Amino acid sequence: MPGPASKRRVPVSQPGMADPHQLFDDTSSAQSRGYGAQRAPGGLGYPTASASPQSAFLGDPVSNMAMAYGSSLAAQGKELVDKNIDRFIPVTKLKYYFAVDTMYVGKKLGLLFFPYLHQDWEVQYQQDTPVAPRFDVNAPDLYIPAMAFITYVLVAGLALGTQDRFSPDLLGLQASSALAWLTLEVLAILLSLYLVTVNTDLTTIDLVAFLGYKYVGMIGGVLMGLLFGKVVYYLVLGWCCVSIFVFMIRTLRLKILAEAAAEGIPVRGARNQLRMYLTMAVAAAQPLLMYWLTFHLVR
Amino acid sequence: MAFTLYSLLQAALLCVNAIAVLHEERFLKNIGWGTDQGIGGFEEEPGIKSQLMNLIRSVRTVMRVPLIIVNSIAIILLLLFG
Repeated sequence: MPGPASKRRVPVSQPGMADPHQLFDDTSSAQSRGYGAQRAPGGLGYPTASASPQSAFLGDPVSNMAMAYGSSLAAQGKELVDKNIDRFIPVTKLKYYFAVDTMYVGKKLGLLFFPYLHQDWEVQYQQDTPVAPRFDVNAPDLYIPAMAFITYVLVAGLALGTQDRFSPDLLGLQASSALAWLTLEVLAILLSLYLVTVNTDLTTIDLVAFLGYKYVGMIGGVLMGLLFGKVVYYLVLGWCCVSIFVFMIRTLRLKILAEAAAEGIPVRGARNQLRMYLTMAVAAAQPLLMYWLTFHLVR
Repeated sequence: MAFTLYSLLQAALLCVNAIAVLHEERFLKNIGWGTDQGIGGFEEEPGIKSQLMNLIRSVRTVMRVPLIIVNSIAIILLLLFG
């Protein structure tokens, strides 16, 4: 019985069409006249029946062409994106800020909570470019601020949940609100740096990194407050506020007051005084924002 | 605390509109912030007042046409969606 069926099918068989033992008729090609004779060897048809519909689909020349066209379109699109992405997002510059390792993260977190014993705050340079954060604990990075921001949003959701005030859109609202404050801070500081005509090498991404470090203290305060109550929240937040204040002053002093602070001479003269006020204002804004963004989470 | 990114955008648009509306002859000259009154000093550093005047002048020059477009879009969106 398979003999006449296969003999009948051979003249019209197509490349990729394997087998005469299908259980169903394959209407993508002119095979349906072989249908009746194929019911008998049904049991033998199982292992190959599952392979044949796909091979039938892919073997068809029209779908072959469609797939080739689709994949070439996708490759062209990918090339276009790769060429133009550097215009909108400075990808290579961002990679520098994420070149961290565990030791750096550990040391930096320790520095954020206890900056009082650290002596040398200068960023090391290597032929005019700052060294990657992996090799220098003073270099700014974007890994800690990004992770801290996401953790802050999650911890805020947790805190709201313990007060029975949680709903999923509140998470988005918290994230949007914190991001809006961050943007406002960055714009205000950029505006004041422009007005005071400071020639610094403080880029915008550096500024975002420094301003993102306060989320670490905020997370610590809120978590301690959730575990142990309001008094502990105030204590931990107070400690983190003072640490961030000292951290920011010592870091920004080197960037904004470059010539004066590098030799350690006391700040003098109207121009330097203005810059010192600016540094202190930026550093003082951090504890205020830390309190403002967390006090409604701990009741 | 409903301070969202959208309200930040609205506030920014309103602020830029406010700067663009300052009239050169009737207002800025009278308080001494006109564009021809600031180019005097070429000392080593400009100082805050001349920086501000520079900023106002550049915002008014650069943002005139984009502001028309953005304001029209905002008007249409507010009319449609309230």
